[in-house]
Amino acid sequence: MAERRINNMEKIRTAVAQDLLSGRIDLLLGWEKGLYWWQSRPLFARNSEDLQRLTWDSFCVANLSGYLQEELKENKKIGILLKGCDSRALNRLVQDQMVDRERVVAYGLPCPGLLDPRLLKQEAGLELTALGIEEGEDRVTLTGTKGKSIAREELLLEKCRRCHHPDPVGCDQLLLPPVGSREDRSRFHQVTRLEEIPAEERFAYWSSQFERCLRCYACREACPCCSCRECFVEQEEPRWLGKAHENSENFIYHLTRAFHSAGRCVECGECQRVCPVELPLMELSSKIIKDINELYGEYQAGLDTEQDPPLLTYQPDDPAAFVE
Amino acid sequence: MTKYITSERLPELWARLADRGPLYLPVNEGTAVAFRAWEEGKEVNLEAVNSTVSPKEIFLPAWETYLKFERAGKKLALAPADANGLARPVTAFGLRPCDLRAIELLDLVFVEQDPPDELYTRRRKNTTIVALACSQPDPFCFCTAFGIEPTDAPGADVLAWKTGNRLFMEARTPRGEDWLEENSRLLQEAEGVEKPPPVESADFGLALEGLPENLKGRFEDPIWDQIYRSCLGCGICTYICPTCYCFDIQDYGHQEQGERFRCWDSCQFSHYTLTAGGNNPRPTRKERVRNRFLHKLQFYPERYEEFGCVGCGRCLRSCPVGIDMVSVIRALGGETVAR
Repeated sequence: MAERRINNMEKIRTAVAQDLLSGRIDLLLGWEKGLYWWQSRPLFARNSEDLQRLTWDSFCVANLSGYLQEELKENKKIGILLKGCDSRALNRLVQDQMVDRERVVAYGLPCPGLLDPRLLKQEAGLELTALGIEEGEDRVTLTGTKGKSIAREELLLEKCRRCHHPDPVGCDQLLLPPVGSREDRSRFHQVTRLEEIPAEERFAYWSSQFERCLRCYACREACPCCSCRECFVEQEEPRWLGKAHENSENFIYHLTRAFHSAGRCVECGECQRVCPVELPLMELSSKIIKDINELYGEYQAGLDTEQDPPLLTYQPDDPAAFVE
Repeated sequence: MTKYITSERLPELWARLADRGPLYLPVNEGTAVAFRAWEEGKEVNLEAVNSTVSPKEIFLPAWETYLKFERAGKKLALAPADANGLARPVTAFGLRPCDLRAIELLDLVFVEQDPPDELYTRRRKNTTIVALACSQPDPFCFCTAFGIEPTDAPGADVLAWKTGNRLFMEARTPRGEDWLEENSRLLQEAEGVEKPPPVESADFGLALEGLPENLKGRFEDPIWDQIYRSCLGCGICTYICPTCYCFDIQDYGHQEQGERFRCWDSCQFSHYTLTAGGNNPRPTRKERVRNRFLHKLQFYPERYEEFGCVGCGRCLRSCPVGIDMVSVIRALGGETVAR
């Protein structure tokens, strides 16, 4: 298995090196290792030396598509490594005409789902520094323990456990064999649970969550849908949002952001993953997605760029029960 | 004076302290940990190293009212803020040595100035700090790189540490002695001399000597082009950081009635340095990221002869793209041990 991973890495590096070193692309967006084995971070590679640091492992969590808008100002053509969710983000940006697809070379990485370091620590009962992992086909062995082995599915990040489409779509090439769709995974169980709570309790739940918001705007900055050149948060005339970290303002911020990404959220889960106080932000987006599915038929943003986005089309017989 | 309390009796201590005045201590909020005013039902967490958000908010809340204003005809009535419960004595319990050191760095900015910042200074003077020695550093800790001893907190009123089932508390100041005395009904005298058990150092092999001088003249170093690239431009690092203190002052309400408040602000935000007329001296993430790190590593030492970082490791844990103090110091050349 370790051998296969090394082979995969070589395959990826060879493919992107060809394009970067021949000048077909000016920049490659990928990942490199961070401080520890359970951290990988974005890599901006421009030469063969940079490419030596390129990594593809179970911790390459950052969605790199959000960097394209900015980087295309300085680079003619950019290569980008994309997991399934990341590829939907690119497709969505292209559909929104925020990114010129002609100037992007998209390399797809079929994704086995990424591991949650917190779950690894919890399962091992050890500090991560005292731990290592060996990844098998469907299981992960925790080295440093007495060889404890756990189903990979149970160690995945929250965002990966609800992912139906781990294979990238609309890429120029897939660098690894597809992993197949995962429609057996439950996308909406958390939302369904919240829907069942009486409205007052639900309000109390969200109040207690939003109260903890630091207003650091990491959810917005990490979101590939949040591609506005100027966000309503910064607009001063009129001022939509006060700067006080007051709960009513926090509500306005999160609800506005959720509704603004309605029909465009690709469910990459980055908003929730980056939140330093771990607000369950994906539940807001999931609720809207679920409603869209129920009202206008199944739709997953970024999956099929030919399909009309339901909120950007109008039909006279569209259901409108919510305004009647 | 050293006393101890057994773990089972801690809830009694919390209730008693909270009765006396606001008691801030680390509590679980989902999987995050934050310093909150204790009330029945809060899940206290004395194990966490370090809390997700730093305890600076006890002294510098995320937002607070300065004054209230109201217009009646041609008159504008101003009323100062009641400064959120400042009338009663506050206990801040469970600050780690690095967090306490960070508060001392904030004191340089807010207290040891002329004039001092009134709200911060009143809170600081009104608060008894019980620091909690670390028994195990987190993988992200590097306080010893900044000369901080994880088992000691020289600026605390009381130093607490855990040994087995016992939480020992040693008074370090007259206020600390009074505090222990007030709560003596719940505490037992320590037999013999007790000391916090030693812990491993945590420093990531950083060599910081000479770094501030070295950074002079490196404002235009091309390394900044690499360091900032992946920055998302969010404010996580500044808001969880125990030594970041920037704030903004704004009004809330309308012409007839409202409040003037201050709230945290972040040098990572585009509007932070935006001036009237639209000029922005830090127009991109590059200038903003550079400012944050130079502030901690060069400007703070130049102004106060102290680094503006305490090695709490929060940015190492929470930056979503891995731009953290250790990685940046390494990129700037401040390390001795090749890893």
